[in-house]
Amino acid sequence: MGSPCEVLSEAKTEAAADEITSVAASEAWRIEDKFSRYRADNVVDRINSAEGACVEVDEETARLLDFAVRLHSLSNGMFDITSGILRRVWTFDGGSLVPSEEEVRQVLGGVGWHKARWDRPVLQLQAGVEIDFGGIGKEYAVDRAVMQLREMTDTPCLVNFGGDLAVTGPPRHRPAWSIGIDGSGLGNADNVIKLSDGALATSGDSRRFIEKDGIRYSHVLDPHTGWPVRDAAASITVAADTCTQAGMLSTLAMLRGGGAEAFLSEQNEQYWCRR
Amino acid sequence: MKILLTAALFVFCSGCSSLGVEPWERDVLAREDMQLTSDAAEAATDDHIYFSKEASSGGRGFGGGGCGCN
Amino acid sequence: MLTGSRQTSISTALATATCTLLGSAAPSVVIAEEEPKWDFNTSLLYYGEDKSRVRDLSLKAIVRRLFTDDRVFSFGLTLDSLTGATPSGAIRQDVAQTFTRPSGNAEYTVPAGSLPLDDTFLDTRLAITAAWQQPYGESSQFSVGFSGSKEYDYLHLGLNGSFAKDFNKRNTTLSTGISIARDEFDPVGGAPLPFTAMLAVGDTSNRGGSDDKDVLDIVAGVSQVISRNLVVQANYSYSSEKGYLNNPYKFLSVVDGISGDTIIGTAGTSHVLRFENRPDERTKHSLYTQAKYNRGGKVLDVSYRYMSDDWDIDSHTVELRYRVPFGQDKYYEPHLRWYTQNEAEFYSLSLLEGAALPLYASNDYRLGDFDALTAGLKFGWTTRNNSAMSIRVEWYRQVGSIPGEQIIGNQAERDNYPDLNALIVQLSYRFKK
Repeated sequence: MGSPCEVLSEAKTEAAADEITSVAASEAWRIEDKFSRYRADNVVDRINSAEGACVEVDEETARLLDFAVRLHSLSNGMFDITSGILRRVWTFDGGSLVPSEEEVRQVLGGVGWHKARWDRPVLQLQAGVEIDFGGIGKEYAVDRAVMQLREMTDTPCLVNFGGDLAVTGPPRHRPAWSIGIDGSGLGNADNVIKLSDGALATSGDSRRFIEKDGIRYSHVLDPHTGWPVRDAAASITVAADTCTQAGMLSTLAMLRGGGAEAFLSEQNEQYWCRR
Repeated sequence: MKILLTAALFVFCSGCSSLGVEPWERDVLAREDMQLTSDAAEAATDDHIYFSKEASSGGRGFGGGGCGCN
Repeated sequence: MLTGSRQTSISTALATATCTLLGSAAPSVVIAEEEPKWDFNTSLLYYGEDKSRVRDLSLKAIVRRLFTDDRVFSFGLTLDSLTGATPSGAIRQDVAQTFTRPSGNAEYTVPAGSLPLDDTFLDTRLAITAAWQQPYGESSQFSVGFSGSKEYDYLHLGLNGSFAKDFNKRNTTLSTGISIARDEFDPVGGAPLPFTAMLAVGDTSNRGGSDDKDVLDIVAGVSQVISRNLVVQANYSYSSEKGYLNNPYKFLSVVDGISGDTIIGTAGTSHVLRFENRPDERTKHSLYTQAKYNRGGKVLDVSYRYMSDDWDIDSHTVELRYRVPFGQDKYYEPHLRWYTQNEAEFYSLSLLEGAALPLYASNDYRLGDFDALTAGLKFGWTTRNNSAMSIRVEWYRQVGSIPGEQIIGNQAERDNYPDLNALIVQLSYRFKK
């Protein structure tokens, strides 16, 4: 998942805690192995190296693709799983390296869901186009792990994959789990949220930016232009029934730039935004 | 007095390391009604009342002074 | 929380899409709320003694601003409004007695057989406290604070700091604290010089100005978790007061060595009276122990305090509280407190005419030999949105006695120790935001 993952459980014995942790961990590894674009020989690798050929995918991948398509239309194209290749020219490491217009234009040629033909269960991408489930995978893995834990045990658990988290229910003797949100990345919480049920997901990472000539470029890229979204929040945390919903809402809000708060308020969501 | 007290504290503490609970057994102790001072306002009020009516004060903490009533 | 009209919204569409993705509907609805950052603790107190003695109406607010990482700023404000009368130190007589008021420019009369009270006890007190508390390293925390209060004739300014460290998986906590204060007494009409006689109205020749005292308190303690249901603590405290420790409004009757009656005055007041005099230093030691025990949701709180000072006062205090929850979110809590102290070495019912003055003397009932009992009941309930209310009603009774050898002649037939009965009613409201 590319970030620290943890499972908190109120298991009564070490063996029970081990079992809970291993169920969550194996689900995380399964999803990582299957959908990471950094791994060879998985479904994403087959799709991205097809060079324009058709690829037939399994049911789970098809559902993720359906979901991505739905989000693409809900966001008017701002959420696009083909936009990952923009990272080849944008490196958000706190430095000052801004790519040239020409570099961005070149790589933008491979971006856009309209360059894909999705006819379940067959996906065909134009040559040079790649997909990346990085924007969905972590939240999806949290929900999958929580679903399995709910079926397996009554023990209250909290599954946290790199800051995107969900709980199976309230802890035994307290009304809620206390979750600190470290929006600044400085190691101290800006807000503490009491979560009894449901999920929290955070988009944004205030350490990932480029600053050049007094202009700060956020790491949220607009797939239409290939350039960072203007006035993006430093971080947005959303509470929702599932981690996937929370994660997508925070991502969509991020893509709205300066309109993030208005968007989330309009959707009647609980959120914490740091600018 | 002081020697006696040091001895008392010592006896008290030498037994400590075997006492207590694990972090996940703190459910009851974490409750507000199990705090040593569970109602700060009431404690402060009492300290002040008894400071002004009796010759003793404090004990729990610094006791209720700062008033010309005694 | 997330109900309401969101048809056609992105949020609803997303929920549907997620349901398809995960192959099941969301198993539960999110319940999340931000941890409160403010904690308001307010109370209204009525304290009333019988026989039109002291009455206090007090308004208190403690506001805590909670920052992340357990850092807390707290600010407290108390406003007291005191009225009523308090025993002056003079003893009862079979005839009426006249006294000069503390201001020195009026007099008042106490009827025959009545306990002399000073009825000019009327004051408003404003007190503030402020403190900052934060963790220090992995297992320690410290706090620094300020306290100040102002009455018409009194000013208190103090600083305090404390440090606590946890050991043994936080089951053991050692703590220590220090507090220093400077209090200034500026009595109405000026502080009378010790042991001088009460003078006639208009004569201020025995009055000084203001005076002050320095107070140092040191506390060291340990608290220990014994089991999942039991926590105990023990504190030792040291307190040193130096400076003006008299009560400028209290005096003693000067009596005949045979009859015990107060000598009739020849000028000014009807009888001969002398202002009290206490040592200008006092050192107190106390040991406080407390245990809190949970048994099936009911909490027993027991404490004991022993205090001993170099004025030869020893006291014992035992306190018991038992909190019993009932219903969904209510509780009741009976409270019993028993207190006993013996008299200060210089406690004196009266002064002997013709004999040499003692080094110190005071007939302040609070320095006498007495027992006190408090019995009360508190009822509390929590409401939604992090708020809680409680009301407690308590009854406080002091019964004292005068050491037999101090009672002279006719004094034996009079009630010399002013018994005290008080009603305490406190209404508290706490909410977090």
